[in-house]
Amino acid sequence: MNLQFSERLLGLAIKTQEMSLWERMQPPEDISSSGHLIHWLFNYTTYVNLFWFALVCIGLFGFSYLYSNKRHKIPFYTHGNEKKHLLVTALIGLGVFLSVDMVITKISTRDMKETFWKFPGDNEDVVRIQVLAQQWAWNFRYAGADGEFNTGDDVVQLNSMVVPVGKKVMIQMTAKDVIHAFYLPNARIKADAIPGRFSKLWFDANKVGKYDIACAEMCGNHHYMMKAQLTVLSQEDFDRWVKESQQIAIATNDTEDINLRWGWQWGSK
Amino acid sequence: MAFVEQHIHDAPTSFWSKYIVSYDHKVIGKQFLWFGIFWLLVGGLMALLIRWTLAYPGVPFPVIGNLLFPHTDGVVPPDTYAMLFTMHGTIMIFFAITPILIGAFGNFCIPLMIGARDMIFPTLNMLSFWFSMASGVLLLASLCLPLGAAAGGWTSYPTLSTNIGQPGLGQTLWLLSLFLFGVSSTMGAVNYITTVITLRAPGMGYFKMPLTIWGLWLTAILNAIFVPVLGAGLLLLTFDRVFGTTFFLAGAAATSGKGDPVLFQHVFWIFGHPEVYILILPAWGIVSDLLSFFARKPAFGYKMTALSLSAITVLSTVVYGHHMYTTQMSPLMTQSFMTLTMLISIPSAIFFANWLGTLWKGSIRFHSPMLFSLGVVFVFGLGGLTGLYLASTSIDLYLHDTYFVVGHFHYTMAASVLLGGFAGTYFWFPKMFGRMMNEKLAKWHFWCTMIPLNGIFTGMMVVGYGGMHRRLYNPFIYEFLQKLVPINIFITVCAVLMGAAQFIFIYNFVHTIFFKKEVAPANPWEVGTLEWEIPSPAPHYNFKDIPHVKCGPHELGNPNLKNGRDFQYQTEEWVKA
Repeated sequence: MNLQFSERLLGLAIKTQEMSLWERMQPPEDISSSGHLIHWLFNYTTYVNLFWFALVCIGLFGFSYLYSNKRHKIPFYTHGNEKKHLLVTALIGLGVFLSVDMVITKISTRDMKETFWKFPGDNEDVVRIQVLAQQWAWNFRYAGADGEFNTGDDVVQLNSMVVPVGKKVMIQMTAKDVIHAFYLPNARIKADAIPGRFSKLWFDANKVGKYDIACAEMCGNHHYMMKAQLTVLSQEDFDRWVKESQQIAIATNDTEDINLRWGWQWGSK
Repeated sequence: MAFVEQHIHDAPTSFWSKYIVSYDHKVIGKQFLWFGIFWLLVGGLMALLIRWTLAYPGVPFPVIGNLLFPHTDGVVPPDTYAMLFTMHGTIMIFFAITPILIGAFGNFCIPLMIGARDMIFPTLNMLSFWFSMASGVLLLASLCLPLGAAAGGWTSYPTLSTNIGQPGLGQTLWLLSLFLFGVSSTMGAVNYITTVITLRAPGMGYFKMPLTIWGLWLTAILNAIFVPVLGAGLLLLTFDRVFGTTFFLAGAAATSGKGDPVLFQHVFWIFGHPEVYILILPAWGIVSDLLSFFARKPAFGYKMTALSLSAITVLSTVVYGHHMYTTQMSPLMTQSFMTLTMLISIPSAIFFANWLGTLWKGSIRFHSPMLFSLGVVFVFGLGGLTGLYLASTSIDLYLHDTYFVVGHFHYTMAASVLLGGFAGTYFWFPKMFGRMMNEKLAKWHFWCTMIPLNGIFTGMMVVGYGGMHRRLYNPFIYEFLQKLVPINIFITVCAVLMGAAQFIFIYNFVHTIFFKKEVAPANPWEVGTLEWEIPSPAPHYNFKDIPHVKCGPHELGNPNLKNGRDFQYQTEEWVKA
């Protein structure tokens, strides 16, 4: 039934074949001001992990080679419970803990506190968007000219989020039916949208373009189709877009339509 | 230590009492083994269907595709895909790994290795298997329903798993099936714990038990405490589905009062995180023993290893929150869970060091059980270290729910446990069935499993880092994932190869049991734990006279031994080195 699709897919595989494996393995382009923090920590963890795993491999393969029963007939009889043995193992345990765990804990706590959990205040000049996730679509709501959410002049968008470049975007979200997760791979962020609760997120995009928004939490059979587009515009283009969509909203929003009133007062919950 | 000597009853004679409703721990162990292998094949086939879809979405599944999905010309449809990964997870965790590692090895090894004639509660033991069977039948039945089996992920988060997302009966049967499974597991756990406490042979203190028994015992303790927690969650969810309560409902559907979907996640992961250790602890125990047996020297830092395993058991109960960072718990909770998770590194690094210490200056015999044990050291090293990325709250923002997570937990729970299970199977096979499995085929099986296995799970971590998220029927509708097509194809090819390699095992296993004539010696591996002092296969009621334990389980390579062997039986007086 999906023959057409597979053809397209095979064509696509051929098209992308020029890429090296290394390029293929790279995560999508980082367009946020905070993504590099995650990468720094990821890389740090990789280097230290490689060090420890190399030690494991040296032990595993080295000892297997050196002490195979062909090469090493008489085993060295020890229970490994002398003081020096305990000291070495304890030191290894502490070494791992101090070199990897403590560093990761410290740095991710710092990053969370100073960046990811540091939400813009109510008076800050940011773009505020309300998001309602549903099976299987994303609804976006902008306050409109009156600056109030859930009023008749709100700009409501389906599967398309538009933001200006270089400005903080603050998102409040919830879900209508089941749990979804708002996932913006290009900004390295993710948060669950949960029925009956509000989650929040902030990010900024410093590159104009079109990017994918995905649902990361299993939300039913068509979870994979729950895709929206993030459009990053320059400030002028964004202002123009706001003006145009505002006019369209005022002209077409049916204030009686209860389905359009899914929004909430900003920060009220 | 309250040792109870069990009476010897007559051996059962009829087929029914010998093989079906058996009270004999050895037979129940084998029942669990067959049960687990059957489900392993079902779950493995599902894995291949999933992998095929991820590499070639929209392309008919080869050979049996048309038979399985006649309505779509052999293409896996999206709803079936959701059902497949849900069932794959459920089956592999509850119906393959648990029966093999805990059901089979727990039942078989515990009485034999502690010098008992049977489990302390044989009836409970028999019931435990038949409850497992009943729960397996329910799960199979759910596959035949018109709306299909449960398809909300093995975690079955509400509200997706309530009537909103899963209107079919499949989810309800899934809940009942797992509830029954929980009853079975709890019965087994109570039995294991009590058996280890009361039936250890005279002289066998806790620190003279083989590490396999340590692993199984700690697993049983976790099972007894945390499986009931899952039971509570499943029951509440069943109420929501069947009786219209709203424990976990919120949002538009919560018309008659509001509950909280996140509450289920807390309950689920309070069980779910210890469950990871429930699955891996027996494998760790087995590997700790086998490394020593085949390196022909005592387990390095035995006491430290046992205590590390215990420490991990305790820590595993207080870290579950790291599965839920994205639900946006309070920062204080998130940080606490991260810090507690990181603490697990210390005991893990200690027993890892001890494993390598055991190999150090040994005289290693590379028999198949040893190869698989060394394999566990390798893959668990990778699995454990990659956990560090996910424990970090900030990296998890990006990696949560991506294939990186899938790769990580398959390394720890699937690869390590599978290899550990194979190590145990090859090792105890002569004691179970009285025959030796073909060593050459076993080694082929190891290499043909080990190499593609690493291709699969490393590949998964690579695509996960590339941003590919989980449970997608067709990831390539996302532009940023399209460059990952070739890597996904590579993973699928590896998965097919690994799947094919299991036929080497099946052939070896079935052929040896039913067709091999040559009887195995009583102690083919030359080790000193109690089960190797009795003939192979282990006779009815194991020990005619209850053994008296005088030394530890890993007395190998002692230079002062004058008995012509390089090891001591546990019943022999320890020779001072």
